[in-house]
Amino acid sequence: MAERPLTSTFDPAGPRSLEAYVRGGGYAAARRALAEMTPAAVAGEVKAAELRGRGGAGFPAGVKWSFIPRTDPGPFYLCVNADEGEPGTFKDRHILAHDPHLLLEGIILCAYAVGVHTAYIYIRGEYEEPARRLEKAIAEAAGAGVLGASVLGSGFSLDVIVHRGAGAYICGEETALLESLEGFRGQPRLKPPFPAAVGLFGKPTVINNVETLAHLPAVIRNGASWFLGLGKPKDGGTRLVSVSGSVVRPGVYELPVGTPLRDVVFVHAGGLAPGRTLKAVIPGGMSSAVLGPGEIDVPMDSASLAAAGSMIGSAGVIVIDDAVSMKTVLDRISRFYAHESCGQCTPCRVGTSWIRRIVLRRGAGEGRAGDLDRIVRLAGAMKGRTLCPFGDAAAVPILALVTKFRAELEQ
Amino acid sequence: MVKVTIDGRVLETAEGTTILAAAEQAGISIPRFCHHPALTPEGSCRMCVVEIEGAAKLEPACATAVREGMKVATQTPQVAEARRNVLELLLADHPVDCPICDKAGECRLQDYYRDYGLFPSDLREPKTRREKLLKIGERLILDRERCVLCTRCVRFLRDVAKTGELGVFGRGGGSEIGFIEGAAVATPYAGNLVDLCPVGAITDAAFRFRTRSWFLEPKPSICPFCGRGCGIEVDVHPGFARHPETGGIFRVRPRPDATPAGPWICDVGRYAWIEIESRRARAIVWNKGGGGEAVLSAEKAFALLGAKIRALDETERTGRLALVVHSGLTNEEWDDVRMFRDGFHPRPLLRLADPPDDGGDGFLRTPERTPNRRGALAAGGADLRPLDLDELRARADLLFVFAGVRGEVTPWILHPEEWRSIRTKVLVSPVLTEADDLFDFVLPCASAFEKSGSYTNVEGRRREFGAARPVSEGIRTEGGILRSLLEAVRRGKRE
Amino acid sequence: MTNAFPSGLRTRIEAILARYPNRRAALLPVLHLVQRERGFIGPEDEAEAAVLCGLRPVEVREVLTFYTMFRREPAGRHLLRVCTNLSCSIRGSAGILDHLRRAFGLQPGRTTPDGRFTLVEVECLGACDKGPCLLAGDTLHENLTPAALDAILRELE
Repeated sequence: MAERPLTSTFDPAGPRSLEAYVRGGGYAAARRALAEMTPAAVAGEVKAAELRGRGGAGFPAGVKWSFIPRTDPGPFYLCVNADEGEPGTFKDRHILAHDPHLLLEGIILCAYAVGVHTAYIYIRGEYEEPARRLEKAIAEAAGAGVLGASVLGSGFSLDVIVHRGAGAYICGEETALLESLEGFRGQPRLKPPFPAAVGLFGKPTVINNVETLAHLPAVIRNGASWFLGLGKPKDGGTRLVSVSGSVVRPGVYELPVGTPLRDVVFVHAGGLAPGRTLKAVIPGGMSSAVLGPGEIDVPMDSASLAAAGSMIGSAGVIVIDDAVSMKTVLDRISRFYAHESCGQCTPCRVGTSWIRRIVLRRGAGEGRAGDLDRIVRLAGAMKGRTLCPFGDAAAVPILALVTKFRAELEQ
Repeated sequence: MVKVTIDGRVLETAEGTTILAAAEQAGISIPRFCHHPALTPEGSCRMCVVEIEGAAKLEPACATAVREGMKVATQTPQVAEARRNVLELLLADHPVDCPICDKAGECRLQDYYRDYGLFPSDLREPKTRREKLLKIGERLILDRERCVLCTRCVRFLRDVAKTGELGVFGRGGGSEIGFIEGAAVATPYAGNLVDLCPVGAITDAAFRFRTRSWFLEPKPSICPFCGRGCGIEVDVHPGFARHPETGGIFRVRPRPDATPAGPWICDVGRYAWIEIESRRARAIVWNKGGGGEAVLSAEKAFALLGAKIRALDETERTGRLALVVHSGLTNEEWDDVRMFRDGFHPRPLLRLADPPDDGGDGFLRTPERTPNRRGALAAGGADLRPLDLDELRARADLLFVFAGVRGEVTPWILHPEEWRSIRTKVLVSPVLTEADDLFDFVLPCASAFEKSGSYTNVEGRRREFGAARPVSEGIRTEGGILRSLLEAVRRGKRE
Repeated sequence: MTNAFPSGLRTRIEAILARYPNRRAALLPVLHLVQRERGFIGPEDEAEAAVLCGLRPVEVREVLTFYTMFRREPAGRHLLRVCTNLSCSIRGSAGILDHLRRAFGLQPGRTTPDGRFTLVEVECLGACDKGPCLLAGDTLHENLTPAALDAILRELE
């Protein structure tokens, strides 16, 4: 139980009803927090637990909450980022499929800590069934007084509204999410100001990933030092690792922060099919730098993966064996970012488009000398030069791929 | 105030100022496409990125506020590389249209490539083909291949004109500027989009292919078509030495300091010159009656008119000399009006006929459609009264009508029969009008662009301006005509 | 010419509008709702959505053309969205497209002449451990094989 605090209570058959959730101890942490803790105490616990955002940016949740200016008249908003679009990532879908009330309890705790009375769950449009499931759980909760004018009888009011996206990966970026929620094109905003100061509808806003919030009930129930102890210093707890690609047992694995990537691939996900050898591993979703077979002895935590020249990102592990051509990998990566670029800023709008054109031409058998250098140059023109982190997301995987697999790509 | 260092120079500037604006104050120019001082910061072209000490990445100068002690560098190798990258990317899909593009010579892409580029590119994919001749407004053409998606046009229409006809459709590399069918750009400020567009994506249909920008000499002036008095620049081609007929006005644009509300003018002020220049009055015409018409020399005409005026004066009839003037006369021309008025006893009737006020356009264009009504009312004093056709019919014997900046002669068209009783009628107009045949004499005069002087606008501001073009041979300003008439009368008396 | 929505649709739209502090924020949910009712969002729907959300039609089109899930033209009765991103590619999404082409005559980006199916290639659907996968309407089908595809498509009239 303590090893997999988030997923061990999941019912493989489907989502837990409110009744089943409560029977399993659900909403007890929220009840206790609302009755016995101050908002500051809840926030302090989360900060001390060193819970990092699980969406991709990895920013410490407690620190993010602390940026909300308490003296602002508000209202404050919480946006739950359920846009899960990072290729190779499906852990939030997993949570929504099995335990929507876990998310709702996390939302209650965050809302209470920050002072939010309206929370929007921004869920990607393609997740229609999970969205309906969420709406059903919310209705259940509201009907039972778990949400609404007086959450669990505490007098604290909270409404949760599900809001669907419509097919744009960029809306996983927090300011693009806000733009989209407000009814605009999902184009990221200039920062500063940051959402904590000027967010949804211009009000102070916290944006947290589904999984980040899903960890909160256990943090409050068992305490910050317990959570921190499961992981590593400055990077506490367990995380849901999505494993896919050339593995025998793809799936979602809840593992302590700092689990070696090699173990993720070969122990938990069962390794490769018989006769196959490992060619590469993408550790943190498509936007992270690919690692070669000699580079997977790295702990899956924020600092270690950064030091290894990649990133933990969304912990979306994509395993690539020798049956997969790196040209296919380059093709999918270049196609994805060209398709998903919002088009606002020059380097990304033009860079992703031109990289795609070169890759397509090569795919059609018309490659020219110097193409890979051109691609590297174009990626370099995006890296660190764009209005939002999408530019890095588009550049970094391509730069890593060309650096580490040039010979195969050049054929 | 905060102290910041830009390129080694220490500056003091107000808190909240952007790096771009602070640099400009110090005479350091930072290149930019999407930024415009009168529009909200966009930060998307990435051309204005600069190095800030202590910051991990280059930051857009247009969207970054200065902080006390900030150290900014705009000329480092990293900044230079970033600018080259932006240029290369914009030019990658940009059509090589310079030889046929109206914007050549005043195009930011050209200017910045000259200043920050001059590098070869090895990007050789076929350029994306897009719509090149999309009519987005009555006089506006959009070339989507040239567009760099700076969104200045979209933001101007949304935030300044408040009509918001244009939007960005699509996503990523497929993004393009567009509008809803049937709802093209219709704001009376549409012409400003041509100035705003940093490249040749939005061009003026009236200006298309007519000249090259570098042949034009910008002459500062004041718009004469309403009471606002926006500062304009009249772009004049001096005429090629061997083909002087190529000279003339080619364009009117707002000056950077056009109005306190921004560098904008309305489309009336921008385009009215076209109509005026197309029907200039050039010859002095004497309608002798019975279908006969003669063209007179100035000497002959003024002698004739001088004699007629003297005849009136000498016989001391109850009939009078009458002047119908308009509020397009400069303050200085009013001296001539007063001198003329004072030259006769009894004093001539002095009446004001302006085109009727309309509602204005809610932004810059005032209800009054003349540039110097304040000046007219101040200079004319109690003598100057509104036009009354009945009174003129009853009392005027010799009538001078000054037609106005655009040759507006509506009252005369509407009642031609009623005032045939006035013995001699003279029309002074810069343009040919529909009323020409109703007058005994038609004297051509200078257009507003050929005058110098001052107007006093609706806000009471008096602003001087110079002539954009010299008057043509034999043409006088309205004030000059009055002086010549007076001179002719006096000369005749002496003889 | 207006194409005012039927009153049932309007009522549901009013309920959506009540969830947000301003009308514009209701735009995406309204467009989703309209697309469910009409199958796509045409110019008259744009104009009506604009009125309901306090916007100009051009602002609606800006949003409409940004998001890939919104259709401006009718699709077939059944929209099939097949993921061909990296993990699904590794697990054989090419074979799925191949089978759809050979067995059912489906091409990505096209609608069948009888108006029954529209096939679209999409990016990651967040079901990478069970790829290849596709969405038929709102229903996710995972671990696809040619046999499974045959069964799925047979059920879709």
